Amino acid sequence: MPSLLVIMIFLPAIAAVALLLLDPQATAVRARWVALLATVATFLVSWGVAAQFLALPQVSETARGPVHPQLVQRHTWLDLSQAGPHSPGVKLEFFLGLDGISLSLVLLTTILTISSVLVSWTAIKDRAAQFYACLLILETGLIGVFCSFDILLFYVFFEFTLIPLFFLVGIWGGPLRRYAAGKFFVYTLAGSLITLLGLVSLVVTTVQANPGLTTPFSIPDLANTLAEHPLTPTVQFTLFLMIAAGFMVKVPLFPFHTWLPLAHVEAPTAGSVLLAGVLLKLGTYGFLRMLLPMLPDACLHTGLPLIGAMASIGIIYGSFCALSQNDIKKLVAYSSVAHLGFCMLGLFALNIEGISGGVLQMINHGLSTGALFCIVGMFYERYHTRQLNELGGLATKLPLMGVAMVFTSFASIGLPGLNGFVGEFLCLAGMFRAGDGQGVIFSALGAMGVVLGAWYLLGVVQHAFFGPVHLPAEHHGPGHEPIADLNAREVAALAPLLGLCLILGLFPQPLLDLIRPDVEAVAKLYGNVRATNPNAFMHASLNNHASQKNLPSVALGSEVRP
Amino acid sequence: MTNWLNENILWLIPAAPLLACLWIVLVGQVIGRKYAHRPLVLGLAVSLAASLYLLTVVVPHGFGHDEHESSHSVMTTVYQWIKIGTIDVPVTLRADAMSALMLTMVTSVSLLVAIFASSYMKGDPGYPRFFAAMSLFVFSMCMLVLAGNFLLLFVFWEAVGLCSYLLIGFWFHKPSAAAAAKKAFVVNRIGDFGLILGIFLIWQTFGTLDFAALFESPKLIDGILAGQPDILHWICILLFIGAVGKSAQFPLQVWLPDAMEGPTPVSALIHAATMVTAGVYLVARCTPFFVHAPYVQMTVAGIGAATALIAAITALTQYDLKRVLAYSTVSQLGYMFMSLGAAGGGEGLALHAVTFAMFHMFTHAFFKAVLFLSAGSVMHAMGDVIDMRRFSGLRKALPITHWTFLAGALALAGVPLLSGFWSKDEILAVLAAASREGEHAGFYGIILAIALLTSLMTAFYTFRAYFMTFWGEEKFPEEAGHHPHDAPPAMAVPLAILAVAALGIGLMTGPTHLYGHYLHHTPGLPHADEFPIDWLMMGISSILAAVGIGTAYQLYVVSPKIVENLQRRLSLAYQASQNGLYIDWFGYKFIAAPLRGLAAICEFVDRWVIDALVDCVGFIPGLFGSIIRPIQNGMVQNYAAVMMLGLVVCLISVLRVLVETH
Repeated sequence: MPSLLVIMIFLPAIAAVALLLLDPQATAVRARWVALLATVATFLVSWGVAAQFLALPQVSETARGPVHPQLVQRHTWLDLSQAGPHSPGVKLEFFLGLDGISLSLVLLTTILTISSVLVSWTAIKDRAAQFYACLLILETGLIGVFCSFDILLFYVFFEFTLIPLFFLVGIWGGPLRRYAAGKFFVYTLAGSLITLLGLVSLVVTTVQANPGLTTPFSIPDLANTLAEHPLTPTVQFTLFLMIAAGFMVKVPLFPFHTWLPLAHVEAPTAGSVLLAGVLLKLGTYGFLRMLLPMLPDACLHTGLPLIGAMASIGIIYGSFCALSQNDIKKLVAYSSVAHLGFCMLGLFALNIEGISGGVLQMINHGLSTGALFCIVGMFYERYHTRQLNELGGLATKLPLMGVAMVFTSFASIGLPGLNGFVGEFLCLAGMFRAGDGQGVIFSALGAMGVVLGAWYLLGVVQHAFFGPVHLPAEHHGPGHEPIADLNAREVAALAPLLGLCLILGLFPQPLLDLIRPDVEAVAKLYGNVRATNPNAFMHASLNNHASQKNLPSVALGSEVRP
Repeated sequence: MTNWLNENILWLIPAAPLLACLWIVLVGQVIGRKYAHRPLVLGLAVSLAASLYLLTVVVPHGFGHDEHESSHSVMTTVYQWIKIGTIDVPVTLRADAMSALMLTMVTSVSLLVAIFASSYMKGDPGYPRFFAAMSLFVFSMCMLVLAGNFLLLFVFWEAVGLCSYLLIGFWFHKPSAAAAAKKAFVVNRIGDFGLILGIFLIWQTFGTLDFAALFESPKLIDGILAGQPDILHWICILLFIGAVGKSAQFPLQVWLPDAMEGPTPVSALIHAATMVTAGVYLVARCTPFFVHAPYVQMTVAGIGAATALIAAITALTQYDLKRVLAYSTVSQLGYMFMSLGAAGGGEGLALHAVTFAMFHMFTHAFFKAVLFLSAGSVMHAMGDVIDMRRFSGLRKALPITHWTFLAGALALAGVPLLSGFWSKDEILAVLAAASREGEHAGFYGIILAIALLTSLMTAFYTFRAYFMTFWGEEKFPEEAGHHPHDAPPAMAVPLAILAVAALGIGLMTGPTHLYGHYLHHTPGLPHADEFPIDWLMMGISSILAAVGIGTAYQLYVVSPKIVENLQRRLSLAYQASQNGLYIDWFGYKFIAAPLRGLAAICEFVDRWVIDALVDCVGFIPGLFGSIIRPIQNGMVQNYAAVMMLGLVVCLISVLRVLVETH
């Protein structure tokens, strides 16, 4: 009997395979019910896993390293020490586990997937079986990333998520879907390949320095070793840039974000929800899991100024780009760039407040932006337009949707009492006291983004939802029912997200307690580094802008922007 | 019973409106939509009773100036909100004398406005929504005042902003209301930007955000003063930016006049009596910080004076009755900040400066509420017309409204013995005291002059509005129908109570020092001697009030021709005043529009520079391929030719090797 953890990861994929093999010609009705059942089952299993996790005894601070998964499933996959007398004595493992951070992200994934199935209910009519299969496979990939504690397994899941999303965008997307899917795929893949190179170099360098380490691909073991025997600053610097490359594209950090608005605009609603809600978090999660515990010197001396600058510019820049959008979906996509900027500011504050703020912001952004994309999809399905200037007075026509939109907007712009605020506050507060004064500037820039956030998002509310009714003509006749307010299914898709926004805003402490041990363990590394290592690395942080430009970028297929 | 009350009184005050809000949202939307006001009125009555009781709990054994030492605060923690790392923010309710006075003011005015609104809003399709938002507002405002630490204050600081957004945008189908709501929230956010940075700085400097730890003992502040005295200047200036946004001070005052798009009870409650005073409360609350930052206090006074003057000038020529009152509110808030800023004038003035600012806020809440509600009553009778050119001579048709408006107007104008007179006079006195001594006497002299000028203008524009509305020939707009009706009882009673308060509450609590002595029990306020009565300022302000009212009577009742002449002669100045000195226009033209332009540039750059670069890089492999591609063209002859060429090269090299070895 496999553990609940394994069931949780592979249940959606099994359902997808079953759907494809047993019933490839399934009607939309059958396919969507299978998908809904599978996602709800996964959700329930994930709660079971959570219950198991919470029932575990507390690990004492001394008994744990910087990364400490629990509910571990560890099987040797490939043992290179058996290969011959000259082979390195290392093992590759099938290493699954959970810690507080990954558990919270897994729960986010399972909740958002249910909503994505519900918002696709009537929107997807063609090749429904394949669509839902892609969605379910994507869920497996996403949960898998969060549960992998072996670098290669992590990487496999990390890249694997690209495939179903590529099809989701490329087949069920908007008019430019092929260009968007190609760009999204190639851009992120190119970044990730550098990351892979960096990760392998990291492992190889560590093994060379510590020959006794037999499981260097295991993230906890590698982090433990590196905590005791850190690499030299120069090596850390190079590795940092290599590993960060893929994550920067994934997050996406300014200026590597241009694939995102395009992919969002073209993606079907469910794709957008999962892309913004979870897929982007793979980037931030990668930073948190791979870089912060492994390369503390580089994170402090290169990461803080570099990522801090990129993130705070991204916040302002993303907000301004959002401000001038006419397509609401694109606007929300740019707002994601800004929100992920907050998240990165928090993570690279490298203190407990900031990192926990970063994790919270991952969850919060998933909920509020996921809900925003759902709402955009809902009125698009009704009026077939997302242009601000073609919409007006939606709140008069569809009051329930108006309430949902106002609520979600305020969650997204960080109104205290809703979830966004707690995350943003902790991120900015953490950054404020990070890095000898430069953090104050990043933090102030970030806080400016909060003002801009209110401007562009309330602008959407003002123009599309308030004001006199000004909407595209309804289609009358057979097959076109009169446009009605949110139905029960749509409410069911939104309600859990909005409810969580409120609960996490009012009672963030349980979530903070869940992630605290893991955050503290990482932050502890920086307590030490800061004390023992004054400014050893200044030259590198000065040069890093120049090095950044040399990052290999992306190759595209033959398709160019029409 | 008493013990139970003493322990639970704190959470009872905000809980009552919160429950009302939940009830209206969950039940009132469906059942008994017509009676949605009842939970709120009931909740507010409970809150008011609790607040009055709190007054006795916070300062238990009577009070007088001798018992100054026995000041203390009451606290209760509801739950742990955020606790991670060094951030520890529980939801703590904390009340001292200052909060208790604020709460009494907030709940009493809210109760009266709620009763008024139950009649005023009758028949509106959004009736329950209105009362739900208003309940949420009163809850947030109570929590703002009761907040026990800076972050909690910030939470409800923004929450009242949300309620203000929801209520300004109440008639959201009107484009002007939708725009005004967004403008109010965004402009407030600019202030909040300063406030949150100030909170970060306090957290970083002191390691705590707790009011009790920061203010109740001077230890922490003294410790910082010894090490880094400049940091308090930064903290104060950042906090003040927050106050500027919320209290509509120059240059962020632009949102308040537009906020009049909301229903009139909302204007009376939120945009005159309570929420906008939050900035004054914040600065007063942080007096222990501000006393160590004299230059920031001078800035406070300067901004206050500029605001008071600009708003008064604008109010002189407005035709929209509610806008006159809105600008007047901005102007009076400027007065309060002038008073707060006067603390920089000398050691002993801080306590009095804060007291007089809070006292003016207290009296202002009553007389401004009655003015706004009377304006609402006029609007109600005139079929929602509020342009004073379209009606006149209403004193016979609307006798109740006429008398209540007159009471409010007299108090605002500063007629002797009425509320506004006492509080305004004290502000003038403390400014005069600041201008007499100290190194910044000259600066405060200018502030005092502006205050006096503003006082004259206040009396004039208030009575201009009064005479234009209630005097002259009787004239109704078409929207009013033939027989405009005066306020029904549910509107008349709150109006009457507020009118009485506007007339009498100053006399009751001002010259008797009831308010001042009570407020002095606030922990953290500096000590000071009794403030002498300034007979000179009393005399001057009475004369100014008389001159202002007299001029208004002359111009708008006796000989209205003069006004037309003046308008023609001074058309430039008239236009400037009418358009609020073009500040709003300037903001749109030179701040909002360039930012929009920048946004367009960002969008352009994103598409044609950053993304184009990405596409370029993506093009390189393709380019590379296209160079090599012609070689693989499928022509067998070519392949054979290249093969031959290769073979020849190979042969030659082999031959050369063979030749060389032999």
